[in-house]
Amino acid sequence: MSSHSSVHATVTLRVHRFTPRPARERKHSSSPFGKRASSPFGGNSNRVRGKQWVQEYRLLVHPEDTLLDCLLTIKRDIDPTLAFRYSCGHGICGSDAVAVNGTPTLLCSAQVGQWVQRLPDVDYHDDEGFRKTGDVDADDDANALEKDTEQAIAEGDDLGVIEIAALPGFPVKRDLIADIDPMLEQIRKLKPYLIHDGALGTKADGRIDVFEYLQNPEQLAKYELLSNCIACGVCEGACPVYAGGEAFVGPAALINQARFINDSRDTATQERLDALDTADGIQACQSVRACSRECPRGIDVGEEIWQLIAQVKER
Amino acid sequence: MSPTNVEEMYDAVIVGAGAAGLSAALGFYRSEEVKELINQGIEPKVLVVSKLQPLRSHTGSAEGGIAASLGNMESDEWQWHYYDTVKGGDWLVDQDAAKLLAQEAPATVIDLEHDGVAFSRTDDGKIAQRRFGGHTMQFGKAPVKRAAYAADRIGHQILFALWQQCVAYGVQFAEEWYVTDVVLNDERTTCEGVVAYDIASGVTRPLAARNVMLATGGAGRLFHTTSNSHDLTGDGMALALQAGLQLEDSEFVQFHPTGLAHTGILLSEASRAEGAVLRNADGEAFMARYAPEHKDLAARDVVSRAIRSEIMAGRGIADPKDPQGAKDCVWLDMTAIPTERMNTALPQVVETIKQYAGLDPSVDLVPVKPTAHYTMGGVPINTQGEVYRLDEQGDVVPVEGLYAAGECSCVSVHGANRLGGNSLLDACLFGTRAGRSLADRFADAPVAAAEMEGETFETPAALDRAASRRVSIINEVLSPADSPEETSEERSESDDNAYTLIADLGTFMEAHAAVVTDDALLGEAIAGLRNELVPRSQTLHAHSDAKVFNQEVTAILEARHLCELALAMLEATRARHESRGALYRTDFPKRDDSAYLKHSFVSLNGDVQWKPVQITDIEPGARAY
Repeated sequence: MSSHSSVHATVTLRVHRFTPRPARERKHSSSPFGKRASSPFGGNSNRVRGKQWVQEYRLLVHPEDTLLDCLLTIKRDIDPTLAFRYSCGHGICGSDAVAVNGTPTLLCSAQVGQWVQRLPDVDYHDDEGFRKTGDVDADDDANALEKDTEQAIAEGDDLGVIEIAALPGFPVKRDLIADIDPMLEQIRKLKPYLIHDGALGTKADGRIDVFEYLQNPEQLAKYELLSNCIACGVCEGACPVYAGGEAFVGPAALINQARFINDSRDTATQERLDALDTADGIQACQSVRACSRECPRGIDVGEEIWQLIAQVKER
Repeated sequence: MSPTNVEEMYDAVIVGAGAAGLSAALGFYRSEEVKELINQGIEPKVLVVSKLQPLRSHTGSAEGGIAASLGNMESDEWQWHYYDTVKGGDWLVDQDAAKLLAQEAPATVIDLEHDGVAFSRTDDGKIAQRRFGGHTMQFGKAPVKRAAYAADRIGHQILFALWQQCVAYGVQFAEEWYVTDVVLNDERTTCEGVVAYDIASGVTRPLAARNVMLATGGAGRLFHTTSNSHDLTGDGMALALQAGLQLEDSEFVQFHPTGLAHTGILLSEASRAEGAVLRNADGEAFMARYAPEHKDLAARDVVSRAIRSEIMAGRGIADPKDPQGAKDCVWLDMTAIPTERMNTALPQVVETIKQYAGLDPSVDLVPVKPTAHYTMGGVPINTQGEVYRLDEQGDVVPVEGLYAAGECSCVSVHGANRLGGNSLLDACLFGTRAGRSLADRFADAPVAAAEMEGETFETPAALDRAASRRVSIINEVLSPADSPEETSEERSESDDNAYTLIADLGTFMEAHAAVVTDDALLGEAIAGLRNELVPRSQTLHAHSDAKVFNQEVTAILEARHLCELALAMLEATRARHESRGALYRTDFPKRDDSAYLKHSFVSLNGDVQWKPVQITDIEPGARAY
């Protein structure tokens, strides 16, 4: 973590915005040619139409400010119409998952200094108009970039650009607000609650000994981290299968099930493993492990799913 | 998620989906009456309306623990918990309610464990417990391990377990719906339902209900430095005031001593329970001077005032993020806690400090400042969760069909100052009790049974009027924004908005009524609200007329709620000429039992009435720590 800097610098936030077209009051006069033909590419017919644009906001910031700090400043001082979900502001409520420079993460944990990109001075397109892709110098470039940023911070000048868009993989409702109900629905369908027969520990004479379901620290350690999932959807937005539009149950629902499967108190392990072993269930996971990268709770989502795959196979 | 169709009449509408609201839903569905009626084919019509998706509720931010005399670590008795709660509340506690709280706490915690909460455990597999400020054995003799915990994430664990159990019972939710009105009959004796604004669509709907329960949480956003999430705007309390009801003991706001410097983010009391100490600019562990017995684990108001005194005496430090700024913080020294223990017992605290202060608590001192944390007062309820008001003679008048629980309510278990670990307990326990009351009312007259007999329901006239009024208010809020959004940048330059107003209100309240106040400050604050902030809140308008997720509409309604609530709170504060618990007035620095062993009841117009405290077992004594 960098030391504090009281030097202000500027940053440009490039925010992908969307306002849906208002629902029509009256019905369209029906076309004599029947319904409009659907796209040959199978586009989603539920897609909401509206206005899309990219808006740039230039702000005075500290490099350690979070992107949520920046967007709240925009709401207060520049543009109160910008819409994004937020609540606790410190990474526990899971409201504010978005894509920052294309990577899903939480607004309240992403810091300016960590995500800002210096725009290269030179034109980064080659003569044919293609953008350069990774080459042997890529690492050097990255280092140079980092150095630039540090220098910019020290000098208090322009840091560069951060691009913010709604969480990938979900329909956008407005600006940075995505409809994550599909994820919650998938979690809900898999019995996301402790199932226990209610039996309590008893003494030799049959009287109840303890009222809690006993669980020792080692048993707790098997699922404690999994139970910290805040259902923010970052892993879903990062998953190329899920965000790619396949009918995959998604990493969040799998982590939720792993939480119960690994909980010594839960008595429905077999039933849970059976329910996951379907084409759109755990079989659809391609073990890309992009889901692990930005989990704000530090869950190695990909590894946990890999363990779950083994459990499903071995049963 | 929103309901696909809205019922003509609900058996119950629960407003809010944190610990209290979800506990109420479970208390309802788990009651014998409801189970039996469902078996007979009579389905209850219950809707939980929440301005957030339930898993985003602020309950999830609670860190330290939930208090119960389980006695898993050392011997403990509910009577001791009862005594500590009354003493902690500076005797402004209704003892019948506090007795229930202490007696039923162990069963409440066991229920949560059965619901799936991943409690930390003892080696023999029981729920682990830790010390917490003000919790003692043998009536104040020595600290006791009473707070059941789940590392430092107890709130997250409870919120998720309760939501998960609600999924099991098929509880129906209306998510991201904002309740704008609680509607009573003209006599203010019966609740008719609520009006709700669907944030996703911008549609306003009347919800007729035979029973309504408020579980909307606190109002920390009244102050700039707060541990509360951005959504804690006192909605339920303001709705009650607008409906012509009163708030009880609203002058008591707890400032948690250890907010992370200027962010206000909470650093759990568990850090001090694990061995952290507060130090002033001279490096002195100053709590020993203020509370020789309990030191850093004295009650929260005692510690917050001690910090404030140190700062006033010039022994404060500046937030290292703003080195030239005011010296309005002190140090939290966690370096004595072994690093390994710190990481297992306080992972959230460590993470928060690293992420938001850029410091390593195992070697660095951490800047802290008192942060607005909890409203002890709220909508007055009895121990069944039923809301009541005082009439002109001061007699109790229940409001039939209106219930409340959790932080928005006041059953008066916290009195003038809440003990750590008692808020989750209050929300879960009295939430469940309110849910059982709803079940009783449902069993007496289920809507579905009436429908089977051919009864139809018309929207009550009062509800209809309230909904039309609300639609016109929202249209007015939306109407001036007729220019396209691209120009909003220019328009807003000289233009007021709800976010700015809420920020200004927070700074204003902090300068006049945080931790310490007096009559002059209160007079200034009331004038400032009346003459400036309230009028500003009334003229706010949105800068876009698009209805879908127009967050400005709810922010404007929240700003109005906050302003109304602030005024009522300030009036109640001004009326109490004493210092007690979390309220400290420099012009009346002593507790005055002869005049103020009473609950205040303030109404929207600022009138204050009084009701004597229920004292059944524990006579008022000195509150020394």
